[in-house]
Amino acid sequence: MRTTLRPVAEIRARLLWRRLTTRGGVAEGVARVALLVLALPLGVAFAVALGAGTYQAVRSGRGLQVDVASAAVFFGLWQTWTAVSLTLNDREGLDLRRFLVYPTPPGRIYAMGLATGIAGDPIAVFWGVLLGGVFAGAALARPGAWLLMLALTLFLFAVATVIYVSLLQEILSLALASRRFREWAMVLSVLLSVGILTLVATGAPRTWSEARGLLPALAVAQWLAWPAAFTVGAVRRLYSADGALALPWILGQALVSAAAGRMAFAVALFQARNGGEAGPGIGAAGGKGWPLPFAGPLGPLLEKEGKYLLRHPLARISAFLVPALAAVVAWKVEPALPADAGEVVRALPLFGLAAYTHLVLQSLWLNALGWERGGARLLFLAPVDGGDVLVAKNVVLYAYSLLVFALAAVPLLLAGEPPPAWALAAALALHAGMAPWLYAAGNLVSILNPKAASFAVQRHASLPALSGLAGLAILSATSALFALPVLLALRNESPWMLPGGWTVLGLAGLWVYRRALPPEARLLAEQRDALLPVVCGDDA
Amino acid sequence: MLAIETSGLTRLFDRKPAVDGLDLRVPTGAFYGFLGPNGAGKSTTIKMLTGLLRPSLGTARVLGLDLSRDGLAVKARIGVVPDGLALFERLSGLEMLRIHGQLYGLDRPTAARRAGELLEALELTGDGGKLIQDYSHGMKKKLALGCALIHGPELLFLDEPFEGIDAVAVAGIRQMLQGLVTRGTLTVFLTSHVLEVVERLVTHVGIIHRGQLVAQGTLDEVRATGTLEETFIRMVGEARSGPQALSWLAAKGASSPPPVAPVVAPDATGDGG
Repeated sequence: MRTTLRPVAEIRARLLWRRLTTRGGVAEGVARVALLVLALPLGVAFAVALGAGTYQAVRSGRGLQVDVASAAVFFGLWQTWTAVSLTLNDREGLDLRRFLVYPTPPGRIYAMGLATGIAGDPIAVFWGVLLGGVFAGAALARPGAWLLMLALTLFLFAVATVIYVSLLQEILSLALASRRFREWAMVLSVLLSVGILTLVATGAPRTWSEARGLLPALAVAQWLAWPAAFTVGAVRRLYSADGALALPWILGQALVSAAAGRMAFAVALFQARNGGEAGPGIGAAGGKGWPLPFAGPLGPLLEKEGKYLLRHPLARISAFLVPALAAVVAWKVEPALPADAGEVVRALPLFGLAAYTHLVLQSLWLNALGWERGGARLLFLAPVDGGDVLVAKNVVLYAYSLLVFALAAVPLLLAGEPPPAWALAAALALHAGMAPWLYAAGNLVSILNPKAASFAVQRHASLPALSGLAGLAILSATSALFALPVLLALRNESPWMLPGGWTVLGLAGLWVYRRALPPEARLLAEQRDALLPVVCGDDA
Repeated sequence: MLAIETSGLTRLFDRKPAVDGLDLRVPTGAFYGFLGPNGAGKSTTIKMLTGLLRPSLGTARVLGLDLSRDGLAVKARIGVVPDGLALFERLSGLEMLRIHGQLYGLDRPTAARRAGELLEALELTGDGGKLIQDYSHGMKKKLALGCALIHGPELLFLDEPFEGIDAVAVAGIRQMLQGLVTRGTLTVFLTSHVLEVVERLVTHVGIIHRGQLVAQGTLDEVRATGTLEETFIRMVGEARSGPQALSWLAAKGASSPPPVAPVVAPDATGDGG
């Protein structure tokens, strides 16, 4: 079998080389290096912080410091790792459909794909550096043989998280392909959110405390994040020098990871043997569709975009994943905020979530045309203005982004005291205000650097590295701009400056967006020769 | 009156011409077959005439309008089935047809009504609710044809409409196209490799070879005394040697296949019943 795996590895290497040497390949390569160069110092900085926290925790041995530090570190790492992997990782190794034709056991192919998720993924370097920081902090605090067990625990955490992401992607891909499941889940989420938001809005203290009383019961939800939960269980014992008590947690991690890996493989194989995204069973129940009451020249474009977005696996996954991740933040971070922290500080997680929602959906606004594939031809064949095409994409994506933000805000609002009216207004102003800035720049990136994106969210990166780098710059610049009102609000002790300042910035963004649209529409028309072969997949 | 008129139409890729100084003349109401071997420049020409690709040189007038100046007005009056199709795979067939119609300026009720009628005409009614990604290649071709027709175009561009579909579907599409042209309101510009089908359909022919037009005229003018296939091979055929014998393919267990008794359905013999 070794001889069969060798050509498979060669195919992967050659494809990577072609990607780097064909049109835009050099720029992509430079962007990947730049991302790595940016990621490493950032990783080292975070690693130092994690190391310092771990040092303190190991020195204290047990108690609140150990509990908080270990939970924050590993649940935080698990959360960011999962979120980034879902949008950025190029995990072609897990695409079994391509390899079923070869006389190689699919299990070996899948295992190789998982291994590249740990060892061969540039993004994994970042997490490796962070875990290195944890290990270094612990080693400095208490050198000894116990560090071998800690190293094993950290390694298993990495393996478990990679497997977790794979399992999550495979299951979501399978389950969310069912229209009925998707729509019922969506309706349920919206009803639940509206109900809770209504409770929050009415602000009745009794209702509020009753609602919050449900939170401890939700602690069992930590097992949904089992890579972090097992690791926290193990490191708590290791930090307090109870190595023997850590063994069951380590063993549990290994067993659950093995079972999860087996399950992920089984689901992947099932999907591959059923034709994957093009298979007859997936999405077969399209029905006649539901009419959307859009009128005017934008109507059909808005309707198409709306339907496309709601059938998009990345969008569907975001609607479930972002609220789930927000729940973890609410559960672990909000209670850790000092009781005497000001209102602005207490509202920061909500504001962070507003920006985070844009980050999660970035591959939809940085590669807006990449999902059209062959359909992109119609956008140039039909008598429609390129500006209308971009507006329809942006408007629909913003509406969806707002829905995801609203769903995700619910657990955050539940975890703390009812937020003041200014904080809710500010969060909405921030989310809305950032959008025109991001979308105006994102349209430009989408036109100049498109990539044919697969609808199977668990396959392939949906963003080229260069666009990822551009997205990093765009989000950083926009975040820096929107941080100015925070400084002003803190300096003047006037929280209402936040909604006001962000509204002004949002209106300025809208002006920029409107000014940018006509030249972007012209650019879209001019770029069609280069864009269509890439987006339609003829050049992929 | 010409439906398509080009002058020196050229498209360069990496400074090499894919289409080189094309002077097309397609009369209104014609069924124009645009033929050529693989890589001759047929699809590139269609892409330029439909606005998917910018010409490097030359001019094109479509339905009397300058394509470079009145692009949107031209697009509103033509229908296109491009190579590779232009379908949004995550829409159902019915949604695709209706939204396509609306993008071409039809109001929603009209587009919906025509979408239903087209599905019926294309024998896709039972599959109208399915997502396009679940369609077979032939069904996608038929749906793409429906999309190209829904707004009642004056000129229809079809790039390899018969490629990859079965004989029954070919016959259905051929009948539909013939019916449309016979009514006299539609001009069809078609590329195809299936010369037998083209010969039975078209009124006019253009043959392109290595980016240049080597023949153009009515079907009878171009094929003269032979068949279209003979003319085509004479004009574009090159001396090609047959494939080398791959002796190793027959090396293992080479033997003649055993005889198999023919199976004929009872009603196919003519006396079934």
